[in-house]
Amino acid sequence: MTSETLLWQVRHFVYNHFADTTHAPTVNETARHFNISTEEAGNYYTELHSRHAFFLEPETLTVRMAWPFSAVPTIFKVHANGKTYYANCAWDMLGIPILLQSDAILEAVCTESNDSVQLEVKNGNIAQDIAAEDGGSSGLLVHFPLPFARWYEDVVFT
Amino acid sequence: MLLFRSEEWIDKWCKRNNLGRGEVLTINNVWELSKLWYQNRLSLEYHGRSVEQAEEIFRQAGLTSKFWYIQR
Repeated sequence: MTSETLLWQVRHFVYNHFADTTHAPTVNETARHFNISTEEAGNYYTELHSRHAFFLEPETLTVRMAWPFSAVPTIFKVHANGKTYYANCAWDMLGIPILLQSDAILEAVCTESNDSVQLEVKNGNIAQDIAAEDGGSSGLLVHFPLPFARWYEDVVFT
Repeated sequence: MLLFRSEEWIDKWCKRNNLGRGEVLTINNVWELSKLWYQNRLSLEYHGRSVEQAEEIFRQAGLTSKFWYIQR
């Protein structure tokens, strides 16, 4: 049995732990923080996973994604506040500086062409590819392969 | 959601993976969408959002095609 209030406090703790440290807390760390049993913390993790608040690695209590953060390295990096975060996708890469409310340098690799790109977020605005020879005038594009109705069928692919 | 240099690279990726083409937004479109989608995610008050709330964000971001809406 889970408390609805504590459930959302756990979600808040996981997200802020990610923002502070660039990685998700283990279920043991969360249990210690709230002074509850590991089993109880695991129940909250499972419930939050089922509500799409974050995504656990299959058959584990390890947080893989707390959107926009990724717990595993990806080709979408965000340098902000002296730390390096990984994002799950191009959209999430833009979401991290918004969530952190900070300036940032974003590094990514374009799919298929394998071009490395760098973008700068400053004072709430985004400058396109600052490393490009053309000054970034050629617009980068983000492809959403699946319609919204299918996003949660396979979140890793999405 | 992957990043591409141009429409041509998207077409190549779709063909190589035998996938249909989805929706393509400019990086500036996605930046505006991200502001609406992620701005309050660190708040204790954020408890997720309903389909209707998500669709309202898409509407505010100017995304109007069926791709962004669940048919009811």
